Amino acid sequence: MEIRLRYFGQLQEATGKSEEVLKEAFDTIGSLRNFLIQRYPQLKNRNFKIAQDNKIDMDSSPLNGSLIDLLPPFSGG
Amino acid sequence: MIMESRYQRHIQLNEVGSLGQEKINQAKVLVIGVGGLGCPALQYLAAAGVGTLGMMDPDLVSLSNLQRQMLFNENDLGKNKALSAEKHLQKLNSEIQIQAFPFALTHENAEEFISEFDIVIDGTDNFYTRYLISDQCILQDKVMVYGALYKFEGQVSVFNYQDGPSYRCLFPTPPTNGEIPNCSDIGVLGMAPGIVGVYQASEAIKVILDLGDLLSGKLLCINLLSHQNTVLDFEKNQNEIDQITKSGKPIPVGNNDCFIDFEVSLEQLSAKEKIKWIDVREQDELPRLNYLNPLGSNVSQDVLMESKQKIIAFCQTGTRSKVFVEKMKRKGIKNCFSLKEGAKQLQEWAKKR
Repeated sequence: MEIRLRYFGQLQEATGKSEEVLKEAFDTIGSLRNFLIQRYPQLKNRNFKIAQDNKIDMDSSPLNGSLIDLLPPFSGG
Repeated sequence: MIMESRYQRHIQLNEVGSLGQEKINQAKVLVIGVGGLGCPALQYLAAAGVGTLGMMDPDLVSLSNLQRQMLFNENDLGKNKALSAEKHLQKLNSEIQIQAFPFALTHENAEEFISEFDIVIDGTDNFYTRYLISDQCILQDKVMVYGALYKFEGQVSVFNYQDGPSYRCLFPTPPTNGEIPNCSDIGVLGMAPGIVGVYQASEAIKVILDLGDLLSGKLLCINLLSHQNTVLDFEKNQNEIDQITKSGKPIPVGNNDCFIDFEVSLEQLSAKEKIKWIDVREQDELPRLNYLNPLGSNVSQDVLMESKQKIIAFCQTGTRSKVFVEKMKRKGIKNCFSLKEGAKQLQEWAKKR
């Protein structure tokens, strides 16, 4: 199954893209996170949440969604 | 005969009516941070007739603020933001009670000031204050309307609404220092805070009126470049909330990125501003800038406390002046900044002036 990833905020700069499609399979949200940190070392030690199918989920949750959003906290006011 | 009222266009809405308008007139909203988000939120809330409208900000209006902070104009440069906002909003609506607080929200004063209001709008630009607002709102059971920005993007949410999730449920771990750049470091499209700030005002009015779907347990992500606006659900994390209620007071976070943005660059200074300089260097360090009549680092606190002019400390490189200003800030001196550049650049700048 393909998953579509959308990067928000400064994660776009860290990964160099706003979106991508992955064909790899992941058991959990956390395993996707680890995969992305391997692929984009700049994501290491970054604070970001992962949502699947429009719901922010825990790293321990099974990954079964097809739309994945990666969200850092924003600062500026 | 039709009575024309200031709030006619709201009262005409079935969803608002006279009763709803009365609720707005009774509401008490505090806007913390009178910047890109706070300005538009305040304008709309004042216009809507929010009965008691508070605004808190220790900072001064600078030239680079005018690109997006529509409440201010060139006459406000160098003046405190909360006090300037108060002046303009009074002209917009003299029927409401406006309270300006020209200082920062701190762990010492948060309880006192937040207790006076029903809803707090987060217009801050730093995580230290944002977590403080969030924790205090949990403790005092106040609704927090959150907004934040990154370049062309915005986030909006409503926290602590009817036992709903809080900011810590969304982001339990504060970012480390320097991890998340803010507007002054990276820039922001001027319209982005306008849209997010007005959205925050709209959510606040909906809370007051108990109207429609609120962004409680939902994070709205706005992207002005792609128009990809997304609403993401998130859950309450009871452990995060319990740790605050058990502690009985807000838990300070380590992140102090621009807690108070007290560094100022020469290019941010307008020619109109009157400045009181403080030279924190030793007597033998060159160049001397005696024609600026700088005070020394031994200047009395009372002099600084009473100064109506902007106070800017400088040294050779901007390092020692920063330490000096940090110390002054801790002593409660507000109107005090550290020059990012050194004495040499200041000399050149002053020559051109």
